[in-house]
Amino acid sequence: MTTGDGVEPQQAAGTLGTEATATPVPEPARGGLTLRDPAHRVCRRAIAYWTVESLLWSGLLLVAATVVYFFVLPERWWWVTVLYALVVVEFVVDVLVKPRWRYAVHRWEVTPVAVYTRTGWLSREQRIAPLSRVQTVDTKRGALMRLFRLASITVTTASAAGPITIAALDEDEAQRVVAELTEITGRTEGDAT
Amino acid sequence: MTERPLPPPEGAPVPLPPPSGAPARDLPPPAGPPVDLPPPPEVARVGVWHQLNPKMLLVYPVRTAGALALPFLIAFLGVRGGSPDWALQFGGIFAGLAVLGGLIPWFTTRYRFTETQLQVRRGLLNRSVVTAPLDRVRSVDLESSLLHRVLGLAKVKIGTGVDDTRIELDALGTAEAVELQRYLLTRSEAVDAPPPGEALTGEEVPAPGAAPREQVLAEIDWSWLRFAPFSLSSLAIVAAVLGVGSQFVDEVEIDSEQVQEAWGWVVAQSIVVLVGALLLAVLVGWVALSTLNYIVQWWNLRVVRQPGGTLKVTRGLITTRSTTIEEARVRGVRMVEPLLLRLVRGAELSTLATGVGQGGTTKVLPPSPREVNQAVGATLLQEDEPLTIRLREHGPASRRRQLVRAQWTTVSVMVPVLALTWWLSLPWWVPSGAFAVLVVLSWLLGAETYRNLGHALTARYLVAGSGTTQRERTALERAGIIGWVVRQSFFQRRRGLATLVATTAAGPEHVEVADLPLETAIALADAATPGLLDQFAGGPPSPPRHHRGGWGDL
Repeated sequence: MTTGDGVEPQQAAGTLGTEATATPVPEPARGGLTLRDPAHRVCRRAIAYWTVESLLWSGLLLVAATVVYFFVLPERWWWVTVLYALVVVEFVVDVLVKPRWRYAVHRWEVTPVAVYTRTGWLSREQRIAPLSRVQTVDTKRGALMRLFRLASITVTTASAAGPITIAALDEDEAQRVVAELTEITGRTEGDAT
Repeated sequence: MTERPLPPPEGAPVPLPPPSGAPARDLPPPAGPPVDLPPPPEVARVGVWHQLNPKMLLVYPVRTAGALALPFLIAFLGVRGGSPDWALQFGGIFAGLAVLGGLIPWFTTRYRFTETQLQVRRGLLNRSVVTAPLDRVRSVDLESSLLHRVLGLAKVKIGTGVDDTRIELDALGTAEAVELQRYLLTRSEAVDAPPPGEALTGEEVPAPGAAPREQVLAEIDWSWLRFAPFSLSSLAIVAAVLGVGSQFVDEVEIDSEQVQEAWGWVVAQSIVVLVGALLLAVLVGWVALSTLNYIVQWWNLRVVRQPGGTLKVTRGLITTRSTTIEEARVRGVRMVEPLLLRLVRGAELSTLATGVGQGGTTKVLPPSPREVNQAVGATLLQEDEPLTIRLREHGPASRRRQLVRAQWTTVSVMVPVLALTWWLSLPWWVPSGAFAVLVVLSWLLGAETYRNLGHALTARYLVAGSGTTQRERTALERAGIIGWVVRQSFFQRRRGLATLVATTAAGPEHVEVADLPLETAIALADAATPGLLDQFAGGPPSPPRHHRGGWGDL
């Protein structure tokens, strides 16, 4: 992880806030520009955490469906069987596939000037926010997360559409990242709008 | 432009305390020469607790009575059969209490100015004090309802921040209110003025001492009235009128004998004539109503650029509105062309700003000619291109996606149609005919969506086009972009498409450029905010997987 030490605030503030009058009208024609993946994965324990979370929620659904299917229904119509099969498949995917997939997709990076994350599993979302526009840095630690010594960080900007969440970091690492983020954003002037 | 960190909005989750090294919240900006603040007028005299205008004691009872009228009427009608004396007494006592209760706010509301803050104290039992730093006042709106105007009062709404929370002083005398508005805005402007040498937005900002010079950007032109019937915004009023009307329909006693006679007469007449007359009546009614609404809403519209870099929009016949926005807070405009309005080459214009108006947007122009929209937009943006430039298309993959996606309508309508066919054993040509019509219609809509889709980048603005029946074009100042989201749904990924979202503090807080090739999206984001994405660039572009046709585009 990159550290924010020794970065001039001007550098941080200059990423987006600069008036564009000086730059010529750019044509978005730089073919082949792609974004690389953010540098870091979340904590490995996230897989276990997400698995347990899925077990709890999908498990609840599965138990309910099983009870209804085997004990409540007078007759097992074919379409009920299909529905039940779907619930079972959903459970298996939710518990075995989704946590690993999410772990593979979810990446994050904090540089001296920006936060960059990638999330999702079937769909993908890449979010970038310059630190000069960051307003708050929150950490969240649910009961279950505490069990796995995990914490998630949410970085918000002045836009309701722009919060960036790094889910399931190791607690200590989360603390370091938050400290670093607040340090960098604190040096930036402006009301971040 | 010098900006300072915002204070937490009242009641919002408290953000992190500023870490050591950050400037204390209420300090003036570190750089820049000391500014000469205008002396506060009497209404804003420092240190004195003011009360709202005493004439409000007349307004509150009328307002309470108005709010009570309908329930009271219903209650009265409801107990008609019972003892009216009792109902009257009860109602009278109740109304009296309500009116008295309505007076409480006047006695408990006080406001005060300090050197740096406006403080408003409210509440009888639950005291609350709202404070707003004077330097952060972004907008000051005056609003006068008919009653206010009769009494010479104006409601002052003060917007300070990123959020919608605004401080309302209801109400001051009109003269005081205007004076206060001018004072607050010149004050925040003086503090916000950039130090010499730093360009604000490439716009020449008149020095605070310069002779006041107003520039009128737009005024109502009554030939625009021809656009009124083509705007459906009056529909809400029709609905409201119908809603209220229907409440009374129940109360009307219907003589069943008369109804039968009337019915006989109706049948005797040609149904066609009746329907024709009805349609004509609806049409005439619509034209009259929409025109009336247009006049009431947009009477005396003036959009003025005031000295000191503020924008003032005044309008309204019965309730007058005056919205004043710091121009530096205006981050862009949105031009909307609903289907009907498009037929007659009309459009509507609003500004996107921080901490102002409904959801950050302020209507600037009523339905009016497109050219007028473009001209006023150009003066607001100080650039001609954003509202006139030809947008870049998003390519064949995007077009296919729009066309395929539009067929969802076909699917969702065909399911009930098929079910009905099966249920009622309709002839086969009913579903197949419906299917053919739907496919063609959806195809046309999809093609229209693609036609409206597009983006452009000008010297200072990111321009995004969207919409199917309602065409929208949003120009967002590139300096106002505070982050990017690149979103790819499962089906977009199969096409190599992405939706690029520019987040911003102004207006609706995000501007979407939908369904453009992923590489174009990244390149656009990179070009719009140079330098931000460089550090994350890399990796050879992977060729998008093309799946022609099929279901890959839902």
